[in-house]
Amino acid sequence: MTEAIKHDTVLDPGAEQVGKTYARALIGAALSAGVADDVLRQLNTLVDGYLASSEKLTAAFASPRIDQNEKNRVIDRLFGSEFHPVLVKFLKVMAKRDRLGFVGAVRTAAVSINDEMQGRLVAEVRTAVPMDEATRAAVVSRLSSTMNKQVRLVETIDPDLIGGMVVRVGDTVFDSSVANQIDKMSRRARDGFSRELLKRFESFAGSNS
Amino acid sequence: MKFSSDEIASVLQAEIEQFDSKIDVREVGTVLEVGDGIARVYGLSGVMAGEMVEFPNGAIGLAFNLEENSVGVIILGNFLTIKEGDEVKALGTLLSVPAGDAVIGRVLDPLGNPLDGKGPVQTSTTRPVEIIATGVSERKPVSEPMQTGIKAIDAMTPIGRGQRELIIGDRKTGKTSIAIDAIINQKGTGVKCFYIAIGQKDSAVAAVVDVLERNGAMEFTTVIAAGASAPAPLQYIAPYAGTAMAEHFMFNGGHCLVVYDDLSKQAVAYRQMSLLMRRPPGREAYPGDVFYCHSRLLERSAKLSDALGGGSITSLPIIETLEGEVSAYIPTNVISITDGQIYLQPDLFFAGIRPAMNAGISVSRVGGAAQTKAMKKVAGGLRLDLAAFRALEAFAQLGTDLDAATQSQLDRGYRMVELLKQPQYQPMTVTDQVLSLFAGTRGYLDDVPIKAVQKWEKDFRQWIHDKHPTLISEMNDKRELTDDITKRIIEAIKEFKASYKPVVS
Repeated sequence: MTEAIKHDTVLDPGAEQVGKTYARALIGAALSAGVADDVLRQLNTLVDGYLASSEKLTAAFASPRIDQNEKNRVIDRLFGSEFHPVLVKFLKVMAKRDRLGFVGAVRTAAVSINDEMQGRLVAEVRTAVPMDEATRAAVVSRLSSTMNKQVRLVETIDPDLIGGMVVRVGDTVFDSSVANQIDKMSRRARDGFSRELLKRFESFAGSNS
Repeated sequence: MKFSSDEIASVLQAEIEQFDSKIDVREVGTVLEVGDGIARVYGLSGVMAGEMVEFPNGAIGLAFNLEENSVGVIILGNFLTIKEGDEVKALGTLLSVPAGDAVIGRVLDPLGNPLDGKGPVQTSTTRPVEIIATGVSERKPVSEPMQTGIKAIDAMTPIGRGQRELIIGDRKTGKTSIAIDAIINQKGTGVKCFYIAIGQKDSAVAAVVDVLERNGAMEFTTVIAAGASAPAPLQYIAPYAGTAMAEHFMFNGGHCLVVYDDLSKQAVAYRQMSLLMRRPPGREAYPGDVFYCHSRLLERSAKLSDALGGGSITSLPIIETLEGEVSAYIPTNVISITDGQIYLQPDLFFAGIRPAMNAGISVSRVGGAAQTKAMKKVAGGLRLDLAAFRALEAFAQLGTDLDAATQSQLDRGYRMVELLKQPQYQPMTVTDQVLSLFAGTRGYLDDVPIKAVQKWEKDFRQWIHDKHPTLISEMNDKRELTDDITKRIIEAIKEFKASYKPVVS
């Protein structure tokens, strides 16, 4: 039996750390230029659009064999006119320090830093069947009122849950899935059996003596 | 016994009726890497040091290292079926083990799971594995003796209830035997015993359990085994788990004897974990807090004040040295923590002096406070006399002519060494020990040939039990050598010697 891998990529705390540092710098620079939203949107296009569609570009960004000047030329030619100068400069800084391969990590970190600054929370919601609009609205409003923050939902479908939903905010999981409840019930029943068996055994042994 | 199906169904129904579908809130993380009994976990951002976590295969872990990006977890169980990406759940509690009368007579692993095939430990009493030891005001000085039943130890390095006495020596010098004898000697005293085997061959543990069973000692003993095949985290927590089980009795006014066999293996397991966790190595590659690892364990052995019930935990930690090297890191650490040590030497062992205790460097810092008055009277100065004899013996080997006084001192020494020999698994009562030592130290053995001393002692004990039962019972009651008792012992010895002819084989 093979289980579906639940996380999208191999977690690399080192890359994450690098991403966080660069993302903090990028957001800082973009904020002082007053273009944080634009830069973030363009960073998303870069990662989801260009890098995702072109393996060669990704490889070129990550490769240490392509020197800095070459990378700078590529950045200028491809993105010079499209992206905001702050982002272009940022990419060049990354190229200078041989960190262009971590653009993906920077994007992930930048999005979460931005969310945090805007007072937004990301909640991952797993459900057995796709949610309808009413449920979605109810979940969002309930989460926003308890967390006192704006909530952005990331939805996934997982038929193994049977029913109910699992909401994950940060490292905390709120689990109301049917699968989990059945699991808990079976555990308690098992404990109950052994307790009951022992009770029977003791009364049996006691009646003998 | 048969169970009808509706009985089982009724249990299930009760569970279903009681079940309320609350939302399950838990803190989770993801396994980054796993191996060698440890896992690195991403997430678990609110986990605290020492908190329990649960893996999907049911294995329990402890948060050991809290780092910026990840949590280092030691896995107390099967780590072979844990995979990268598995969800780890924080349980929000500290590790605890079953305690109480249900654990007595059992062979358990450090988590309290049975290893003896006698079914699960059925108790609702549990105790946390790691607690802070009792403070100064909750203790009182060690005053009652904890008889090991071994003449050499009870006479020269007496152990009191609440004391920590280290047994140290090379491999195969009889360290475990002393501990086993001490356990066997607790029969009938109400002292609960805990034998904690760390990093030993499972066959050796099975042999110990067998000896304890054959001598009727398993009835009051718990064996906690983390064998050589157990993962390092289990070996590491085994002594804490055993102490937690003992503490249940101590805090209820009972007395316990805990044997840690051996702490050098535990230090090695701790070193392995620490190095895998990338903690910086220090001397002999042990981590910086290996001293704390042992001191916080042994500090939990205590004699409680009367207000707390006066219970006690006596511990006999065992340390194995390499080539008699007591100045290695772990031996010096544990020597400095304990209240004395019994040093066993291979050359004495092979010369037939068993227990192979070196009287010169074995000490008990609690000393006479833990001896009965009778024993204090016969054994006072014995240790120093024996140490002086050893020095004299070395000198006498130079072949010089000796004056009569020196020669008689030597003769007395040879006979005392002979008298202090004692076979394995035959602990003696205090009265018997006092009688034997009385005969030796007062010079009544000086005319018995050296080779016949052991036989003489054995026959004398047998004879006096048969002929003078009132004297024995009186000594048992009084535990003191009054003038009257002394006179009667001397008379008895003279009477015995008149009718006994030592046989030299």
